[in-house]
Formats: sequence, structure tokens, C-alpha cells
Amino acid sequence: MFISLQLLHMSVFSQSFSPCGRFLAAGNNYGEIAVFSLSAALSPDASEASQKPILNFTAHDGPVFSLLSTDTHLLSAGNGEISAWSWAELIKKVRISCSVNDNSLIVGGGDNNIHIMDMETGIFKSVLKGHTDYIHCLCFKEREEEILSGGEDGAVRIWDARTNRPVHCIEVFKYEECARPQFGKWISCLATDSDWMLCGGGPSLSLWHLRSMSPTSVFPLPGCQREAVFYQDLIMSVGEGPHVSHCLHGGTVKAQIPCTPSSLNTLALNLKNSEHRVMTVGGSSHQIDVFTNFSYRAFSLSF
Amino acid sequence: NIIIIVIKRFAVIAKSQSITPESCEVRVYNEEVELEDRDPQQDYMLYKDTCADLAKLMAEIQELKSSGAKSVEIEERHRQCSVHFITLKKLNRLAHMRLKKGRDQTHEAKQRVDVLHLQLQNLLYEVMHLQKEISKCLEFKSQHEEIELVSEEEFFQEAPAEISRPHVTRDDNHQLTLARLDWELEQRKRLAEQYKMSLARKEKIQKAIEQKREYLSSLQPGLQNIMQASLPVQEYLSMPFEQMQKQAEVARHLPPPLYVLLVQAAAYGQACDKTLSVNISGDVDEAKALSRRPEDSQEDESDSDAEEEQQNTKRRRATVGVQLEDKRKAMLRRHPLSLCVDLKCKDGSVLHLFFYYLMNLNILTVKTKVSTATDLSGAVSAGELLNSESLLNCLYASDHGKETPNPANRYQFDKVGITTFADYVSDLGHPYVWVQKLGGLQFSSDGAQNVIFALSASHMEKTMKLLRGRLQARLALHKQFSSLEHSIIPVSSECQHLFPAKVVSGLTRWTMMSYQEFTHVLKAGLVCETDLFFMAVVERGTARLLAAVVLNPRYPEVMPLFSLSLHWKGERSGRTEDNLRAMESEVNVFRAELQGPRPGLQLLTNQIQRLCVCLDVYLETESQVCDGSEGPREFPREKMCLRTARGPSRLKPFKYNHPQGFFSHR
Repeated sequence: MFISLQLLHMSVFSQSFSPCGRFLAAGNNYGEIAVFSLSAALSPDASEASQKPILNFTAHDGPVFSLLSTDTHLLSAGNGEISAWSWAELIKKVRISCSVNDNSLIVGGGDNNIHIMDMETGIFKSVLKGHTDYIHCLCFKEREEEILSGGEDGAVRIWDARTNRPVHCIEVFKYEECARPQFGKWISCLATDSDWMLCGGGPSLSLWHLRSMSPTSVFPLPGCQREAVFYQDLIMSVGEGPHVSHCLHGGTVKAQIPCTPSSLNTLALNLKNSEHRVMTVGGSSHQIDVFTNFSYRAFSLSF
Repeated sequence: NIIIIVIKRFAVIAKSQSITPESCEVRVYNEEVELEDRDPQQDYMLYKDTCADLAKLMAEIQELKSSGAKSVEIEERHRQCSVHFITLKKLNRLAHMRLKKGRDQTHEAKQRVDVLHLQLQNLLYEVMHLQKEISKCLEFKSQHEEIELVSEEEFFQEAPAEISRPHVTRDDNHQLTLARLDWELEQRKRLAEQYKMSLARKEKIQKAIEQKREYLSSLQPGLQNIMQASLPVQEYLSMPFEQMQKQAEVARHLPPPLYVLLVQAAAYGQACDKTLSVNISGDVDEAKALSRRPEDSQEDESDSDAEEEQQNTKRRRATVGVQLEDKRKAMLRRHPLSLCVDLKCKDGSVLHLFFYYLMNLNILTVKTKVSTATDLSGAVSAGELLNSESLLNCLYASDHGKETPNPANRYQFDKVGITTFADYVSDLGHPYVWVQKLGGLQFSSDGAQNVIFALSASHMEKTMKLLRGRLQARLALHKQFSSLEHSIIPVSSECQHLFPAKVVSGLTRWTMMSYQEFTHVLKAGLVCETDLFFMAVVERGTARLLAAVVLNPRYPEVMPLFSLSLHWKGERSGRTEDNLRAMESEVNVFRAELQGPRPGLQLLTNQIQRLCVCLDVYLETESQVCDGSEGPREFPREKMCLRTARGPSRLKPFKYNHPQGFFSHR
């Protein structure tokens, strides 16, 4: 099959499921966002056409590195701008960028700072400074209302969301169990689950206990991980290398499921909709792999 | 009895006697006169009485005879009877006379009636006759009514007074008609005169024309002489009328597709492209011979084939193969005439195209030759570039020229056992689809073939431009390749702005590769067998970057594709590492930037130069990543970069910004 050059050199950087869980939005390096219909792709009479986007539009000039869904909107981050798209309109295959009326949005930027924006008014409320290089990943601990950020400078910083002050700073690369100097010190993935934190990147993917601020398990995964999530009692992570790794809390790698792209940038789990409970991964390819059973790849959506 | 007779005679004499003294004219019996007096009824009663008496007397006689009476009484009675008989006879006579008289009277009356009847008939007949005559007279159309006369008003206006005589004719229709007829006659006589005069004039003019014609035809030989004498003048002024006429003469024997091609190419050359020239070459006499017996040749072949087959099967089997070979040759026969089209380029190189027509297959083929002004130095990798076999491959996308475009040929091939036409292509030329179109041959799916002028015209300009572009691209590549083989990447001044001033990585090798070696490197689907494959090696220090290059025959319309693999501290390739993939993307995708000034012949060299620049950036920023714990870096940072990593895959900044001279991410 002849693939155009564009498709050959496309990479998917971000994904987000719709609030109803029936649609998946994916952003690529050309600045395009494609909306796929999961219900069509998962239905028994799905065809090749249902694995194509129902809507494909150019959202930004540069790559769309980050996509986030609120209850009503899809937020996309491009080169220096954040756009909000109404999910209702996207599902109707119309794209209108409009304002949201929600709470606050935490944005980690290439300017080494974290910005908190009030989504109702669109005004940035505060700035969290501290990182010395750009920020790769952010996550939020709801119970304690803390923000965790990981950056290129190798530090994981924990901020108090109410007072906007730094609470902790963990320099992961300084810990011998995790550090992998041959790769570097940057942290490219972060995930929290109550007291636990996953982080990885240049250093190996490791599970930390936040009370004690120490790594409890280190996962022997070969490449640099770019995204990791907690799912039930598993940890799933993707990164360099064409596979999704399933790991156990103890530190063992249970399985490595092969995928189409040669390296993966983003992993997303559709937990909002029990009918379409899938895991989707995207990376250095124009195809997004869909896992209905998390143990093997079912099919691929294609830009 | 004697008595009776006497009485009879007596009656007769008495009659005759009574007549004579009176009339000579009417002789009638005496008794006839009596007739008028006597009454027929009385006579009838008398007859009856007499008969009754007779009967009575007879009865008495009978009685007397039987009783034996005396004869006197009998005699008496006899006498009485005789008297009665006489009476009876008279009565009979009278009756007859009455009858005759009656008849005569009837006859007379009848005659009178007949005469009258006849008169009546005659009169009736005459009446009828007269009526017919009358009706005939009434219907009579005089010829004069058929003559179209001028209308009355005109007549009165035009005719002179002697003829029209209005005082008479206005009242009398008959006279009017006569007058009009007279006038008509006058006019006709006049017109007849005029006609004769016109005829005479016409004769004269005819003669004059004849004379002039003779004069003109006498000029013809004089003109021929002048034409001959003007030949050297034509050459001097380079207006080759003679040559064109001769070409036109030969062109008459060309098969239709070649003729179409000739006409269109010559027209195009005259109108748009002065550097295009067309010639006909080949054996004209053979062509004439062919055109003389076009139908026979085909039939002859099949007949003779049949005969041969019959003969041969009786003899040895070995000749079948030879005979099949002959059949093949006959099927693939070329027309003796061919066209040669020359396209000259500005730098003096010429692309020669030889067009042939395969008669039985009804397709055109083309062979090429390139002659260059300067001798092309032998660049090893450039061997295939100007190869006449593949020079015109894929001039239009997927037009490989290996198979015949005429679907009907499939059946012909089956008959003589030709499996593919590709075996004969090197001998006969390539049957590209654009060649068929230039010759006006169009093969629709139902096999109908028409020679269409419009088809040829619509494709001519585009094809000539493509051909010229192809030649120039190949020649440019040739020069570039010879430079690349010497490890110099020729970057023209117009494209210098795409690259930084200092580029450390350098090309060390440029070689050709084969299709089999290449399939291991890149997924199939993007390449096919007609592409050209090369391997470029770029080195800097200990790092070696191998780039496999796919060059589509339609370069520079189609971008060459690079597939990279880096040998430095291990082996990485574009399939496994994101940064190498980004480098491939940088080189493969941005055609608008890299193609340089029109016609974009610098694309490949710019791509290679960009590859070197990207390798520089890669190596210099790679050392940045690690923590500096290794010691001196092999590749010190010399390039200015805003950021060395961006995004989750931490891609390097490969985009060069001019004129600031720094690198950034796309």
C-alpha cells in the first residue's frame, strides 16, 4: 500500500478521550487533531473506513504535544498557545474554538515554568517557578491538592496547589538505583496514585513512595519511558521501543505487548465508558494502536 | 259427291264473273263483300244449327238404315245433309276470310306503328347526338387559355394602341382576348430575337476563354525552369521548400500513426519550439511496395502458413520451431519507414527519438539516443542515467513501456507463442503509452482503435516538455554524480542560504545499488523495480551515516527518498530511533525548500547537503545529553541551537534558519 510521505513521517504525540468515552482525539506533529469514533471502530461491522478519523483539522502551527479533556471541552496545546474545542461541536464534525467555564488549568510550559490559568476568564492566576529546563509532564494529586511536575532538568517538583509554593524537589538522577547516565537525567513521565508516584525518563521507570520520598521499585525497561499509568494493580508504560510494558508493583515486568509504531509517545485508557474500554497508544507512526483486551493489539486507527 | 263439286265450281265462277267489269285495281271475291254484311255471331249460330241438323239427319239415316227403310227417304236425307254440308263449307270460307281480313288489318296497323317508332328512335338519337355536341362545345378549351397572358392592367398599360384597341376590347371579352393574344405573340417574337443574339455572344466569349487557357498552359514549362534555378537561392536563404516538398512526398507513404506524429511534431516545432526537428528515414520503395498490396500481404501470410503447415507435418517435426519463429518475426515486423525527432537543448546536447510502427500489432515504439556536446566523463554511478533502455521510463507515472498497450495484441501473441512483449523491447523499441497518444492511437477497452489527430495534438506539447525536462534532469544528474563520486557536493550559489556556512560532515562515498539490496533497507510499497538505487555514506569522525537513496525515474517531479542508518556507538536506524526518523523527515518531506531554482534539478544535491548538516547537529547535540561524565566530547558544540530537545521524544533541532544561522525545531 502506498503511504504518502506525510504519513510516513507523522508522529502522534497526544491523545484524549471524550467525556462520554465514545471518541478519541489525537494530536500529531503537523499540528493536526484527528477525532476518531470509537463506537464505529469497535462495532462488529467495522470496516477500514471506520478506522479513519471522522474529523481532521489543523489546530496549531507546531506539533500538538498535549491534549486534555474536560467535561465539555478538549484543550490542545501547541506552540505557545492553548486552544479549547467544544466536544459537542467536534462530535458533530465542526470545530469551533471557544472559551470554557470550568475551574483552573495547570499548564507546564517550555519556558520552564508552570502556569495556572483560570479557565472561566482565561487569565493566568499564578506561575510556579523552579524548574531549570522545560517541563515534560505534570500530574495532580487530588487528595492533598498537590501538583507534581517533571522536567528536562531531571527534577520532580511537588507544589502545593493552594499556596502555589514548592513543597518538595526530587532529583531522580541522583538516586543510584534509578539513574541511567548513558541516557540522561530528564524526567518525561509522571503518574500518581494516592501515595505512590511513578516517574521515568532518562532514569529508569521507578515507583516511589511519597511519604518516604524514596524509590521502592525500579523497573528494568530498556528504553526511556514517556508515559506511564496506574491501572488496577498494574503499571503500564510506553516509551522508546515498539511495545507497551505491563509491570507489577513489585518491580517485575510482566509483559511487553508489541505495537505498530517504533516508539510510543502517548498512552491513554478509556475508563469513562465501560462499553468502549480500550487502551490506545500512539507514537512514531501515523497509526494509533487500539487494545480492547490489554494483552494484545486489536487493530489500528489511522490518520 | 258430283253435285258437291259442281256447286263448288259454280261458286268460283260466279265469283270471278262478278268482279271483272268494275276495277282493275282491287280484285276481291264476291263473298268478301258479303262478309261486311254478315254478322259473325249469326254465322256462328247458323253453324251450330246446321251441325245440329246434320247430327239429327245422320241419326235418322241410321235409324232408317237399321230398320231397313226405303232408299228414297234415305236419299232425301242425303240431300239435306249435302245441303247442310254446303252451308258448312260456306261458313268455313267465311270464317277463313274474316280471319285473313283481320290479320291484314293488324299487319297494316303494325306497320304504321313501326314506322312511327322508327322515326321516334331516329329523333331521339339525333337529340342525344346534339346534346353530346353541345356539351363538347361547352367543354372545349381552347389552347389559347393555356398561354399565360399578362394581366389586363399590364396589357392595357404596355401594349401599343393598335393592338390593344381599348375602345373595342373593353366591352368585348372576345376581342380583348384576341388582342391580348396578339400582344403575346409580338412579345414572344421580340424575345426570340434577343435570345439568338445572346447565344451568339456567348459563343464568342467561350472562344476567348479557350485562347487564354492555351496561353496559360504554355507557361507551365517556363515555371518549372524557374523553380529549378531557384534551388540554390532557397538553400542560401534557408527556406527549404524543395526539401519540405520531398518530405511531403515521402510522407504520403507513411502509415497513419507515423503520419499523424509527423504532422503534429512538425507543426509543434514550427509553432512553439524551434529546436525540434523531424525527419523521415527508411526505405521508401519498400513502403510503396507495401502500400500497393496491403490486404494481400496479410492473407498471403495466413494462406502460405497453412500450406506450409500441411507440408511440414508430413515431413520432419524440427521445422515447426523455425516456422513459429518466422511467424513471430512476421508479426513483429516494422514498417520500413521511421521518424526521427531531434530535441536540441541549450547546452548543445540532443535527444534523438526514433519512432517505429509495428504494422501487424498496430502500435508505435520508440528508441532513444543521447548525444552530448561535451564528452560526459565516466561517472560510474551514472551508468544507468542515460541508458537508452531506461532513459524514458515512467515519463508519465507508471508508463513503463514493457508491455504493449494494445489489448488486441494479446490474442495475436497467443497464436504465435509470444509470452511477453518485454523480450523484444530492446530490439523493437519501447511501446510507451505516450508514444501511442502522440501517434493518435487510442486503445479503448473494447479494442476499437482510431487514429485521432486531436489526441496527438493535445499530448504533443506536454510530452515534448517532459522529454526535454527528462533529458536535462538526467544530464544534470550525470554531472552531479561525477562530482559526488569525488566526494564533493555541488551546491549552487542560489541554494547556499539553505545551509550554514560551515558543514563538517562530508560525503565519502556515492555508489549505485541494486533493487535486491535495497528491499532489505526500506519497506516495499514505496519503491519499485524501475527506480534507481544509490548508497551515500556521510562521515564525521567515528560516526558513519549510511543513506540509501531511491531515485524515481521521474526525478525531479518525484522526490528522492532517503532511508538512514547511523553507525556510531552502536547501530541506529530511522526505523528504531526517533531522531534519525526526524532527520529522514527533514530531508524527504520539504520539497519546496530544497528544490532550488527552477527546474528543480538541484534537489538531490541539496538533500545530501542537508543530510550532512543534520548529521552535524545530531552529533553535536547528542553529546550534550549525557552528563558530561565521559570526558572530552568528540563533537564540540558549534551549532547555535535554541533548545536541544523538545517534546516527549526529545527531538533535536534540525531546522536551519537563515540568515540568523541558528537551529530550531519545526
